[in-house]
Amino acid sequence: MSFVWPWQYSFPPFFTLQPNGETRQKQLSAWCALALAYSQQHRLPAMTVREAQDIPLFANHRLQRKLPLESIQVVLEELRKNGNLEWLDKNKTSFLIMWKRPEEWGKLIYQWVSKNGLTNSVFTLYELVSGDDTENEEFHGLDEATLLRALQALQQEHKAEIITLDDGRGVKFF
Amino acid sequence: MHRRGVGAGAIARRKLTEAKYKERGTVLAEDQLAQMSRQLETFRTHLQAFASRHKQEIRRSPEFRLHFQHMCAAIGVDPLASGKGFWAELLGVGDFYYELGVQIIEVCLALRHRNGGLITLEELQQQVLKGRGKFAQDVSADDLLRAIRKLKVLGSGFGIIPVGGTVLVQSVPAELSMDHTVLLQLAEKKGFVTVSEIRDSLNWETERAKQALEHLLKEGMAWLDAQAPAEPQFWLPALFSELHAQDGAAGP
Repeated sequence: MSFVWPWQYSFPPFFTLQPNGETRQKQLSAWCALALAYSQQHRLPAMTVREAQDIPLFANHRLQRKLPLESIQVVLEELRKNGNLEWLDKNKTSFLIMWKRPEEWGKLIYQWVSKNGLTNSVFTLYELVSGDDTENEEFHGLDEATLLRALQALQQEHKAEIITLDDGRGVKFF
Repeated sequence: MHRRGVGAGAIARRKLTEAKYKERGTVLAEDQLAQMSRQLETFRTHLQAFASRHKQEIRRSPEFRLHFQHMCAAIGVDPLASGKGFWAELLGVGDFYYELGVQIIEVCLALRHRNGGLITLEELQQQVLKGRGKFAQDVSADDLLRAIRKLKVLGSGFGIIPVGGTVLVQSVPAELSMDHTVLLQLAEKKGFVTVSEIRDSLNWETERAKQALEHLLKEGMAWLDAQAPAEPQFWLPALFSELHAQDGAAGP
């Protein structure tokens, strides 16, 4: 399914952080929604802020407008506040956008586990997101970084435990 | 031997004649009454048929509505002036415009966060028709303007601002002075305006231009584009034609 860009993406001022407070709030909301949708569609991996400047999300070449670095940082901070972004280093140079929050992923995974009567089973991380059994699940193909965060969220709720297996990591569900 | 004129007989005869005339008059009146009554009955039946036939037409056809309005205007009648008007009640004209007014308010409220309370008549028409569904009865620009004028009379904060080839409908109580209105008109052509353009076209001082633009920014009716090649551009979402593109905006 091809990506549907919102009207704002063709609107030149969208790439200028608005001076008016109320308008800026609306603008940031729109940016966050767009970033999440784009991230989902394109399965955006972790990246640096410098790299982010050039992806089509923030740089509209046809329009000859790009969101400046400082403004990208404002958007990223907004995503972080909403639980949809994680900084991967202390200096805030690399980040990962999570279009679903880890808790939301965890919930989906656990739903599948209990629906199929698989509590008290052990899975390798690979099995969980790349195995045949989960082919039709939304979390199929999930990247490892996000998967780990999802499982950590479940771990916090005592619904799972991340364990070390012979050839990597796995998880046990309760 | 008969003799005209006076005498008891004459009087009696006169009385009889008068009585006969009176009776005749009564008979005449009765005749007339009966005839009028029949005519009224026919008239009423025709009127009811006319009303029901045209009620459909009123709801269905913008051309008919316009024609109807012109007819009324020609005889000095405004069917919308009072909801209790004879024709308004009979034909349900008032209902139609009342419902349309409600729809207009709904559309404006729904889009206010996007355009700051300004919308072109075209977009308003498009959105209203969308809201009316697949079997929508047609709504003309004239219909919308009449409904909006009715809303204005009710004091709902609606305004109509002519700009270039079209009309902007304001649905927020924002104070828009002549200066602001003139800026809107200047912006209509390209969807945006710059300080230079304002100075050149309107002969304003820079400060005056900046104040007016500041106000539009504050009201959420204008956005700033700081990356425009020559100088900052001030865009109005209300005039942004790609706002209602059906399949989303063009990509990068």
